[in-house]
Amino acid sequence: MFTFSSIKELINTLNWSKELLTEMFEKRKSFAYKYEHAVEVIEESRLDALIELEVIRRNGPLLEIDDQFLQFFEQILEVNEEINTATVHENIRILKQHINHYLQENNGNRKYSYLKAVKSVLRKIGMMTLRNIVDLNRNIENTFKTEPTYKIKISKLKGYDQKRQDINVLISQTQQLLDGEEITFFKIAPDEEFSRITNQLRLQLNEAHHNLIETQKQIIDFLNQIKYQSRILEKIRQVKYLKDQFELKERTNFMTVIADCHDLFFSPQRSGRMKLSLDLLQDDQVYPILLKASQKRKSGVKLIRPIAANISAEYLAAETAYEVFLDPEEIKNSFFASGDHLFNFLRHYQYPKEVTFEEMATLYCQLISLYEDEFILRDTYGEYEGLEYAVVYPK
Amino acid sequence: MATKHTADIFEILSKGQFINSNSSDERIRKLFAAIEDNFSDLSQYFIEINLKLERGDEYFYFSRPENRTDLERKIESAYKWIDILDFFKAHDNSFGSGYRFTPAEILVKLNVDAMLKSKLVGLRRYTKDERLDVAIQKLIEILCREGFADLENEVTNSYKILASISYLENLIMSIHIPEEINNEIPE
Repeated sequence: MFTFSSIKELINTLNWSKELLTEMFEKRKSFAYKYEHAVEVIEESRLDALIELEVIRRNGPLLEIDDQFLQFFEQILEVNEEINTATVHENIRILKQHINHYLQENNGNRKYSYLKAVKSVLRKIGMMTLRNIVDLNRNIENTFKTEPTYKIKISKLKGYDQKRQDINVLISQTQQLLDGEEITFFKIAPDEEFSRITNQLRLQLNEAHHNLIETQKQIIDFLNQIKYQSRILEKIRQVKYLKDQFELKERTNFMTVIADCHDLFFSPQRSGRMKLSLDLLQDDQVYPILLKASQKRKSGVKLIRPIAANISAEYLAAETAYEVFLDPEEIKNSFFASGDHLFNFLRHYQYPKEVTFEEMATLYCQLISLYEDEFILRDTYGEYEGLEYAVVYPK
Repeated sequence: MATKHTADIFEILSKGQFINSNSSDERIRKLFAAIEDNFSDLSQYFIEINLKLERGDEYFYFSRPENRTDLERKIESAYKWIDILDFFKAHDNSFGSGYRFTPAEILVKLNVDAMLKSKLVGLRRYTKDERLDVAIQKLIEILCREGFADLENEVTNSYKILASISYLENLIMSIHIPEEINNEIPE
């Protein structure tokens, strides 16, 4: 097993293996990287060297980047997703240790080195806390939006809430450290850079604290939403079960709920049952539409008129009806020729048919009204069977 | 005093449909905004023709103060919606307002989930078809027709569930199941 003997060697190694490492790093989540793939990227001898130096580990046909290097890459590139509160804890402990050493040490140089150590730890704490919070928020968001199983979602979110609390504790511990304990150290430490770092740390911790309040609200909100959703799910399942068992009406207040529900949703009154405006129908523009509508209504059924039977011969035979017509002109001429007065003449006239007394009287009146100009109406009146008549002579 | 959209609002709501704030149709979103701005005026207006303007969570609908339809029809309708909602929730737990899906996804799930398939078969009286893909399409059409879903993207055939789905959820939540019966229902 080889180890790196110098920084230069390490950096050189990383340099000539950069293609392979880039490939493997980028695909670290998508699939397990195979030995054959690696051989295509760099030569086999170099690959073996990497394995020897424990930059890459080999597991049968699969390869993976060594965990230390993986973490190194993730942290530097700020892509790690795991939130590690343990390191912050550790860092506080180390901080306290360094402070103690500083206070105990008398030698100037060594004192200075402790001071430097303290500074670097302070810087780290601030950075890591903020990074942790960013990662935490991102993880919470992802879990809520992508996790399909409700139970797992709830437990993951609860886990993140726990992490949030841990970070909170660390923040308060650090703040306590800066302001409460070790006050001696922080008052006497001389550096201007040092006070700058502590101030920055204070600001970062403040910011972190506020962010965590938001995170807490977010988690609570998500948990509530999930709980509500799963309650609905549960309810639907139960209602469906009861319905399938035909127990829904009897054993729940289903009927009451439905009876009380007056929403239009349940009463599909599709409108369109209105009459046409009669005024509109008189309009000229409507006429072609009416034509079209009537054409559509032409049913395909053609009513066949039954043809009647032949007309029988006897109907075709012309029948004549005879009626005797009394021609007033002819009667008048005969009257002129007779010299008698009208009434008498009519009484004795030879009619072509049987004429009753009423018909004769009617004829008398008819003739008078027809030929008034040609008759003279005397003032004398005759009488016949109780009927008075005027005496009429031709002119 | 009614808005200029009053006629459109009446058209849609009087058919028993919903106006959602997250509709895919720009026109409907405008109507939603109009109702929200003039809610009290419009309620006043419609109550005079015996229609109550109801407000849900990001959606509106009508209800009639006194009872008109027969109970039988309402129960049938409620049964139908319980079944349909149960099916979609079984397909995906997070089926709710804003949820997007395609018919193809459901079809794929049917192949692996036997219970889901049997639920779909159970819905045959509403889908009226043996073939699974046609049945799913029919169900989605029913959702769209009542205003619970919208076709969001014609190209990908993706649908979006609208806010009015909470109406059904609330309806089911309001059914109270007594404790002892609750315990009898298997997990």
